[in-house]
Amino acid sequence: MTVALFLILTIAGALAATAAAAFQAPPSIFGGGLALAFIGLAGAAGATASAMRAPDDLTEPRTARGPTSPPPLPDDGRVTRPAFGGMWLAAIGAFALLGLVPLISLARKPGRASRTGWGAGVRLVDENNAPIPHDRLVAGAIETVFPQGATDLPEAPAVLIRGDDGGYRAFSKVCTHAGCPVALYRHASHQLICPCHQSIFDVQDGARNISGPAPRPLPGLPLDVDAEGYLVARGDFDAPVGPDDWDRVS
Amino acid sequence: MIVRRAAGWLDERFGTNAIVHVTLKKIYPDHWSFYLGEFALYFFLVLVGTGIWLTFAFDASSQNAYASVLALADRSHPIGYVIRQVHHWAAVCFVAAILVHMGRIFFTGAFRRPRELNWMIGLCMLMLASFTGFTGYSLPNDGLSGTGLRIAYSVALSIPLIGRWAAGVFVGGNDFPTPQLTTHLYTLHVYFLPVLIAALLGLHLALVIYQKHTQFVRDPAHVVGRRFWPDYALRTIAALGATLAVLALLATFFEINPVGDYGPYRPWIVMNGAVPDWYAAFLEGSLRLGPATEFRIAGHPIPPVFWPGLVLPTVTFLFLLLWPFIEARLTGDRAPHDVLQRTTAVPLRVGVGAALIFDGLLLTIAAGDDQTAATLHVRLDTLVWVYRIALFAGPVIAGVLAARIAAEMRARVPAGGEPPPDAVLLVRNARGGYEEEGPQAG
Repeated sequence: MTVALFLILTIAGALAATAAAAFQAPPSIFGGGLALAFIGLAGAAGATASAMRAPDDLTEPRTARGPTSPPPLPDDGRVTRPAFGGMWLAAIGAFALLGLVPLISLARKPGRASRTGWGAGVRLVDENNAPIPHDRLVAGAIETVFPQGATDLPEAPAVLIRGDDGGYRAFSKVCTHAGCPVALYRHASHQLICPCHQSIFDVQDGARNISGPAPRPLPGLPLDVDAEGYLVARGDFDAPVGPDDWDRVS
Repeated sequence: MIVRRAAGWLDERFGTNAIVHVTLKKIYPDHWSFYLGEFALYFFLVLVGTGIWLTFAFDASSQNAYASVLALADRSHPIGYVIRQVHHWAAVCFVAAILVHMGRIFFTGAFRRPRELNWMIGLCMLMLASFTGFTGYSLPNDGLSGTGLRIAYSVALSIPLIGRWAAGVFVGGNDFPTPQLTTHLYTLHVYFLPVLIAALLGLHLALVIYQKHTQFVRDPAHVVGRRFWPDYALRTIAALGATLAVLALLATFFEINPVGDYGPYRPWIVMNGAVPDWYAAFLEGSLRLGPATEFRIAGHPIPPVFWPGLVLPTVTFLFLLLWPFIEARLTGDRAPHDVLQRTTAVPLRVGVGAALIFDGLLLTIAAGDDQTAATLHVRLDTLVWVYRIALFAGPVIAGVLAARIAAEMRARVPAGGEPPPDAVLLVRNARGGYEEEGPQAG
């Protein structure tokens, strides 16, 4: 009887879900129907299991699977030990070495791109590719900037900050810890903060890493103003961008 | 009728009826905790089923991936919405089910000889499940997962000697993000990793059947339990139905990974308070607690993320992988066992388990240290130092305490499992009270 009720629930749920899908009903009807169908399935199987429960435990012998120690292979007069055993092993080893080649070649260009796009005279542009006039930011404001013409380079983004004294500072936006964007600025304490692992950099002290797991300061970007009054870089970042790696020997 | 004829047709050609007969009457020991691994199996089957459907709806290019997932996350498309939600919920539940199942195996000593290899296979599947989950969660190319990938890329870069190569293989290029990143992850997520899991899963189940399941009944010479058909088969169908029902309810009424709220990935933008799916959170936590020191070996940097991001999980994985052998060496128990132990039977194991659970939880909690510090109104530095001390002191205290408790509980129940002669058995009666059964009560 219980089993029948659960099976009715299953049928009703499945039909409801099918109808919901056919008539583009909201997900709650489709998913709810599915849930009812599955609850019915679980209930019906569970109720059948209880009804058919075997009165007692049964047993089956357990035997250890090993050791089996089979007799040696029959000796039919041939030398069973393969000739040149060591050479066969060496050949297998050579194939294994060959197998590493495609794996290693998977890194298309081994190395690490390091072009930032910044250089002397390169204009700072914002997210919309617009150059930044020297009076655009008020004191305490920040803006994410890119090198004009190379905004897509992963190591390009920089954060531009106007200090209370009116002076501009710019630093790489790529955290030196794990490469997250250093996106938060706490104006009162002049701190740049990485939201990923809470590394904190002091903007007034060359973006020095004062707290958290970042191992070194954010690279600074030297700034200037060009003849038309737009902010430009005087050169590239003063240090390598982002987290270091084994091959970045400085 | 049709079934009978089909079975007869097959039996004439392959002799299958004998195999089916043996399979149906095979005895399986029964205990509620033996279903934990089955839940993991059913989550995996759901993942494969919904995953195949999703491959037809998903555009695996970095440019279009986000838009194609947004279309799926739209509630006006009920089937796509529910299937994607089921898939993501099943992924987080899959890893959880494996972990809980492993806990059962660990604390009852089911990994002991002759089942060490199956323990190792299971642990490899846990790692593969986490990788598959991470690559899948990263496919939408949204703001949250893109940042997670950037961190993973930095961790891969930090490996001494081969960092650039490893990071390059991981993202399919020498930069982050590469234009082909999503396609690359898609291949890993859809072909490589699931096929590995399926192969190991087949081996795992084959070994369980071949070596026969462990049991709590203290009869080492026999498997004591119920037949596959109808007892066990019906119960496992019920477990499957329950798994599907829970997934359908979670998927329908609790939105997971709302990528529309995160926006597409742009390398210079990050959300505040971003944390990954739960099974990756311990790594996020360990990166937050990690040192800021960068060592150099002959001028070559060892970036700080190397220690918390790679050394810590690798050492933990190897320790767990070799645990059956470590425990055998420490306890001197190298005999084969088919009968499971009480969880208190080996205090050393209980202590090690408690220590690992403590650090796992601590690192997971540490992944939200900024929000915890804000909620508790404490300085973040202070909280980080509290966590760092707890990371080393906590497992020692928790381990020793748990081992002591286990040892005392064990002392009350002799190793044979039989209660001492003067013991009194308390039996709960129908009214909810307790009645004594034992020598005094007669």
